Amino acid sequence: MAADRHRLIEFASFVWSVAALALPLGVLVFLLSRSGSLAVEQTVIEALIKIVAVVGLYVFIGNSGIMSFGHVAFMGIGAYAAAWQTCCPMLKPIVMSGLPDILLQNTVPNFPASVASGLLAAAAALAAGAVILRLNGIAASIASFSLLFIVNVIYSNADRFTQGVGSIVGLPVYVTPTVAYAWACAAIALACLYHRSRFGVALRACREDDVAARAAGINVYVQRLIAFVLSAFLLGVSGALYGSLLGTISVDTFFLDMTFMLVAMLVVGGVRSVAGAVVGVTAVSAVVEIFRQLQNGIEVGAFHVALPAGFQGIALALFMLAVLIFRREGITGGHEAILPERLRRALLALKK
Amino acid sequence: MQSLVDAAATGSLYALVALAIGLVFGVMRLINFAQADYITIGAYALIVPSASTVPTLFIGAWPMPLMVAAVALVVVLVALATERLAFRPLRGTDPSTLLVSSFALSFLFQQTIMLIFNSRPKSIEFGSALAAAVEIAGLRVPGVQLLTMATTIVAGTLLVFFLRYTALGVEIRAAAEDFTMAQLLGVRANRVIAVSFAISGLLGASVSLLLVVQTGTLDYRMGIMPVIYGFFATVIGGMGSLPAAALGGFLVGAASQLLQAWLPPDLRPFRDAFVFGFVIAVLLFRPEGLARPRAMRERV
Amino acid sequence: MGVTADIGPASIGITGDEILEARDVVVRFGGLLALDRVNIALRRNEIFGLIGPNGAGKSTTVNVLTGFQQPTSGEVLIDGRSIGGWSTNRVARSGVARTFQAARLFPALSVFENVVVASVNAGGSLAAARERAGDILAWVGCANRADRPASALNYGDQRRVAIARALALSPKFILLDEPAAGMNERECDQLVTLVSEIPGRWGCGVLLIEHNMAVVMRTCSRILVLDGGKPIAEGTPVAIQTNAEVRRAYLGDKAPGAAHR
Repeated sequence: MAADRHRLIEFASFVWSVAALALPLGVLVFLLSRSGSLAVEQTVIEALIKIVAVVGLYVFIGNSGIMSFGHVAFMGIGAYAAAWQTCCPMLKPIVMSGLPDILLQNTVPNFPASVASGLLAAAAALAAGAVILRLNGIAASIASFSLLFIVNVIYSNADRFTQGVGSIVGLPVYVTPTVAYAWACAAIALACLYHRSRFGVALRACREDDVAARAAGINVYVQRLIAFVLSAFLLGVSGALYGSLLGTISVDTFFLDMTFMLVAMLVVGGVRSVAGAVVGVTAVSAVVEIFRQLQNGIEVGAFHVALPAGFQGIALALFMLAVLIFRREGITGGHEAILPERLRRALLALKK
Repeated sequence: MQSLVDAAATGSLYALVALAIGLVFGVMRLINFAQADYITIGAYALIVPSASTVPTLFIGAWPMPLMVAAVALVVVLVALATERLAFRPLRGTDPSTLLVSSFALSFLFQQTIMLIFNSRPKSIEFGSALAAAVEIAGLRVPGVQLLTMATTIVAGTLLVFFLRYTALGVEIRAAAEDFTMAQLLGVRANRVIAVSFAISGLLGASVSLLLVVQTGTLDYRMGIMPVIYGFFATVIGGMGSLPAAALGGFLVGAASQLLQAWLPPDLRPFRDAFVFGFVIAVLLFRPEGLARPRAMRERV
Repeated sequence: MGVTADIGPASIGITGDEILEARDVVVRFGGLLALDRVNIALRRNEIFGLIGPNGAGKSTTVNVLTGFQQPTSGEVLIDGRSIGGWSTNRVARSGVARTFQAARLFPALSVFENVVVASVNAGGSLAAARERAGDILAWVGCANRADRPASALNYGDQRRVAIARALALSPKFILLDEPAAGMNERECDQLVTLVSEIPGRWGCGVLLIEHNMAVVMRTCSRILVLDGGKPIAEGTPVAIQTNAEVRRAYLGDKAPGAAHR
């Protein structure tokens, strides 16, 4: 009896933590999409895709406490995997001649392609993580950073698969705000599920005190690997979606600038919670968008006032530093959206 | 044989970077990505601020001793400013936060430089006399490579002397070993850290000058790759030991050059991947780095 | 001097199953001999005390028994199986749990999560693990604080939760590292009651490291005394209290009745 009640509360708690993020996000997306501006719609889609990515980052970084600068490598892997599956059927055999025939002759529908891209990224993460997660703390961060460079070098030079340093064009531009929103919600749900699962709790224990965690029977390495692979899956999917933003990708898109942007978003929002990831992306995207408008120029009286290009990057970096200095835990302070006490008590009191 | 000399020169350059990173890491447990920008700023200080791809020399046109001193001064001031404004408020936080903030700072610098100078690479006439090759033992060695190696040896020696035989140097070593204890013993944290940053600034300035002589180009991201390599080098050598950091830098630079020479042509573009893979391999084999640091083992 | 040969499991006829055993364990740190041929056999139904002056090697012994420290020579066996080279979490899952001198709870996790995270490693379903965690927390008296973050607990409660966490592994043996440190008399009484119940209630043997002699004497059926890494006496509490070697180790040459070195 108590167990049933308990399960109900657990479920309600889960639904709440997802809804508390998904619903306001949905409202925001809905309102912004009605604005009619194509540019705004693009921004919204991009932000939602980044939510998938940053939520993925949170799954690993937030729970393990290991700062990984290499995860964007998995985003790139996912993006190119999607390209291999869905791009330009006419051009593919010429442009990506190194691919196996089965890919050259077929086009995979978008949704399965995204999932498959995520899975490929996850597989790569399994291989890479098995190696680098044997390291501790800073060494692991550095090794993951290494990974970013390795993938960048390989993809930049594997011309027959990736067009090298050139761009691949002709990807299907199919991601609408609705599609992106659906994926963002899926990512949030997955991250919340992980967070409250025995694996999430175990990994956070490792983060808090890895010696005591071992004494409690936790296999630190395995827990880290699980989070690493799951987060890579989300990043891979986000990469696949990213390609459909403009229909084009290149290797350098998924390198240092993207890494900084995503990490900044997570840090600003709050590293230790899913809410932090979502809030961070939203806040930073808003700021970036404002600066972009300012850079495009606004009419002040008879004058056209514009900020020089590049200011948005400076503003973002300053913003991030300010957060780190003054509110280290980020905007959300690492708190998740939790079931309000009144609701919990109400559920406990249900007659069954 | 020629490639060995190249390896030595590149290794020396990265050793300089690794020393700077290792020094700051030693006293603050901070991996300073902004070191990349100290290098970039040193180079850009040579020219008059402009967006042109063929800029006019500013400090770069001054007589050599004055120019070197001026560049060094600029970079040291920048380094000290970053310490005072960005890193001091963050002192004592966990390494992850420090890492991310130095990353943010580096990004800030890059964007600012890009704003002022434009993102396109610039080429300048600088120290071209040094590009001329000198004949030594039957090898043609570009003067700049000799200069790089000489600079590293001099810098390394001076650093060793400073750390070992001056009061300030001893304080820095004490702080690197155990910061809290050093403070309790009267070592002034601010001074020790500031001096370390200043030294890292000097090292950064020398790297920037050497790079500009070597490549003749300025790019707002020119400091990144040396610092990435230097950073990996510190890790390989072992964080917490300066000679080991220098050794690590040397190994990484040397490996990079040797791979370039010895890899089959098909694989040569992937040379960097091998170097980074090598970094991971070393980390696996010896996570604490090749040197054995003192106080790193956790007591249960 | 003659005491050393009579110390160890063989001297009281313990062999084989259901024991946690240290056999001729030597631990050397560079030039320092931290443990010099320590022999211990802990049975599942007893409370065994490990005492000695500071620096005697007590914590090192616990580290060796739980896999946190590899012995330079000698071996550790659980039910006859050597744990040489095992990872610490494998040792924990094989039935040897421990607490630390500082409670070392996971601050950001709730009290309940602290215990569950260990409980799931004892095998069985998630539901069973949660139930076991709840039972143990109730038994140590911290059930009403289950949902609080562990960092919000006072020192005494943290210690109790730490013991609960160790018990949550359903261990065969539990090693308590100075649980009474910093406790007042009333808290010590509670601790004595708690510890005394462990073998009967939870079916595991207890190795108790303690400086607090009152606690040791009241809970332990056998005691091993270490000094400078060497075992110098082993026996019942009464025997240890009257042992001249032990007196000398604690009080120095000026102890009454001590033979000169």
